[in-house]
Amino acid sequence: MSTPQSAPESAPDRVRTISVRGITARISVRPGVGPFVNEPPLLLCNGIGVSFEVLQPLVDALDPRRGVVRFDVPGVGGSAPPPTPYPIAALASWVARLMADLGHQRFDVLGLSWGGGLAQQLAVQSWRRVRRVVLVATGTGVLMVPAHPSVLLKMSTPRRHRDPAYAASIAAEIYGGTMRTDPEKGARLLHSVTRSGPRRGYYYQLGAMAGWSSLPFLRLLRQPTLVMGGDDDPIIPAANPRLQARLIPRARLHLYEGGHLDIVTEAETLVPVVEEFLLAPDHDL
Amino acid sequence: MTATRSEPARRADERISDAGARDEPGGSELSTPLDLLLSEAGRGPLRRFLPGMSGVRLAAGLARRPGAVVGRAAGLGAELARVQVGRSEVAPHPKDRRFADEAWAKNPFLKRTLQSYLATGQALRGLVADAGLGYGDEQRMGFIVDNLVEALSPTNSPALNPRVLKRTIDTGGGNLLAGGRRFVKDYATAPRVPSMVEPDAFAVGEDIAVTPGSVVLRTEVFELIQYTPQTTKVRSVPLLIVPPTINKYYVIDLAEQRSLVEHLVQAGQQVYCVSWRNPDARHADWGLDTYGQAIIEAMTAAQDIARQEQVALLGICSGGMIASMVMAHLAATGDLDRVAAFSLAVTVLDQHQAGLPSALLSHKGAAASTRASREKGYLDGRALAEIFAWLRPNDLIWNYWVNNYLMGHAPKAFDILYWNADPVRMTAAMHRDFMDLAVRNALTQPGESTMLGSPVDLGTVDVDSYVVAGIADHLCQWESCYRTTQMLGGQSRFVLSTSGHIAAMVNPPGNEKASFQTAETNPADPAEWLAGATKVRGSWWEDYVEWLAARTGPERNRPRRTGSAAYEPVCEAPGTYVHDR
Repeated sequence: MSTPQSAPESAPDRVRTISVRGITARISVRPGVGPFVNEPPLLLCNGIGVSFEVLQPLVDALDPRRGVVRFDVPGVGGSAPPPTPYPIAALASWVARLMADLGHQRFDVLGLSWGGGLAQQLAVQSWRRVRRVVLVATGTGVLMVPAHPSVLLKMSTPRRHRDPAYAASIAAEIYGGTMRTDPEKGARLLHSVTRSGPRRGYYYQLGAMAGWSSLPFLRLLRQPTLVMGGDDDPIIPAANPRLQARLIPRARLHLYEGGHLDIVTEAETLVPVVEEFLLAPDHDL
Repeated sequence: MTATRSEPARRADERISDAGARDEPGGSELSTPLDLLLSEAGRGPLRRFLPGMSGVRLAAGLARRPGAVVGRAAGLGAELARVQVGRSEVAPHPKDRRFADEAWAKNPFLKRTLQSYLATGQALRGLVADAGLGYGDEQRMGFIVDNLVEALSPTNSPALNPRVLKRTIDTGGGNLLAGGRRFVKDYATAPRVPSMVEPDAFAVGEDIAVTPGSVVLRTEVFELIQYTPQTTKVRSVPLLIVPPTINKYYVIDLAEQRSLVEHLVQAGQQVYCVSWRNPDARHADWGLDTYGQAIIEAMTAAQDIARQEQVALLGICSGGMIASMVMAHLAATGDLDRVAAFSLAVTVLDQHQAGLPSALLSHKGAAASTRASREKGYLDGRALAEIFAWLRPNDLIWNYWVNNYLMGHAPKAFDILYWNADPVRMTAAMHRDFMDLAVRNALTQPGESTMLGSPVDLGTVDVDSYVVAGIADHLCQWESCYRTTQMLGGQSRFVLSTSGHIAAMVNPPGNEKASFQTAETNPADPAEWLAGATKVRGSWWEDYVEWLAARTGPERNRPRRTGSAAYEPVCEAPGTYVHDR
């Protein structure tokens, strides 16, 4: 039980399961407190095949009073698998509904990697409801500067999420950045905290992005957008965030030295950039 | 996973496959429906409907008795003729809700359809009896024929069920459209049975599993929930509940007023409950020892937080099996005085002739099933749910078939069914260990199984015990649960509740009809026990609270906070593991 008299620095995260359009999803909600009570919360869209626990370091580095919503994509982590494969637009509509069910008519969204695709789709599809967008280490779908084929091959199966030894052996090659000096870190990140769902969930996620590209509609994004990318990211070569920042009308680019998962592994240096962007007054963006 | 398998694990595998090689058709007698569930779930439900050798023997048996077959056929022919001219007396059982609509009695066409169906069903069931099969084959064929007969019921057909016909006219076919949508949704994902509850009927932590408390310990395997005391005085010895590993723990913490946990907390017990993690392929190696070790860790935490030398243990279903083995381990290591009282609910330890269709589990089946789960890393709870539903097709399949698909209604919101639709996976190693215990009925023989390196001898567990069973339990027959009283070494109080496996557990006071039976002595024969038992009005929950209070020490002031310095609360109950699908 929370103790109301002690005026907490941050509200506790609450993990719940809710049913959205008949699909049971595991979510984690941290309500905003203090100055953030009436602010739109930050919705975090995760990378492929991992449960929301992976984002914990990122959440810990955010302002403790900021409201944060995390969720497991259907078929991943603790969420029930969807009955059929789905396109990314359907998932974006489902996520918008999820946020509405939670009582958030407006929210900010941060998309990491695969989740960045979802964030771009959300931003264009639910443009009235998404206030600001943060895209981290993500591309524009099928029309992007691709990663090396050997990296793509490794991304095509969920094995790295299931086999810690395998994850440690390939982490440096696919994630780059700090993983090069400490590949065990990647294995730990992907193995010990995440909950793995059925393999089908992973393949549905891959399939959702098949044939999808945000390139044609990036010019239509009207939200202030922060595009972040690492210069040593084997999955998303730095040309991609550059391209996104150029195409999105109100975009700000932040390139950093590091790899694919640095927003999580080096959260204390990168998350302040996100905070600053989210707090900046509208006319500065 | 093969490389990491331990030596005992390999031996268990070998034992199971050896047993498979020695399998005598129809000769196995060592199954409980629980094992059956576990065995079948590894392989999928279709296999149960293949008659196999039992079918061959049925045909052979009938071929030897041509007279009987001709007699049946003639009898059926005559009955069908009487049905056609409207002279037949055949009628459904008055309590059979399927045929409650008056159209079945008044509409001549429907009446004849119904009577033909009943007569044919009777004849088919009679044929199985005529064949003179052995016990095993007869059970198996009986099961298949029953399922077939029930599936063919005219109520299942949209063109013959008068209720459906009326509704089709009322809604202009909208019911069938809605039903079709439901059908597609249900059958796209496992379990491929009609859903018995809407996915949004309840929300864990919102309207079920709401007794206040905190998670005071989180390990890889489980979360330990400490419930917040609701009385000013509490019993000094804490109570640790070990729930089944096959479903979520919240069967004992359903809605308010229906929660055993809440009842115990309000009766002044300090209640701790284990919430098992929903394991996946990465946890394939977690076996009985992993879970036994987890129980000991939870006991230690509860003892430390309550600053007591002792805990009381309550094990439920499969959780009770593991807890019993842990008790034997504690006895072997001289630590048994850590447990002040031991209770078991709907738990079967002696699997010998544990009732119901024992012939449905074969050694070969067990071997194939553990092999299947080993390849996958786990046994999917959804597969279990499918098997479970097909054990009682009239209640759990056809009833919902008509309601969901033909009538187009949403199933009613019922908390137990919501719980039932929220299964937990079982690790491959655990599945293998359970099957191994069952196939050898190892808990009945001292030293036949081990827990954390100690040989398990339940006779050495001389702590007072409280054993609960449900009289209509089709999963853990009460006679089998009763045999526990003969196996444990201490004083046992056996309580026989009304109703079945789950409803016996969820038995809140206040129900006018609730009652239970109990007796002063526990003779070896369950029938003798039943004859000597007296009926008590009310729920066994109240009886249990009294029994516990006598064994959980003097009252003391409630602790001021949950957890302790060493066990800082991690998050609020019901925790995070309970949300893993």
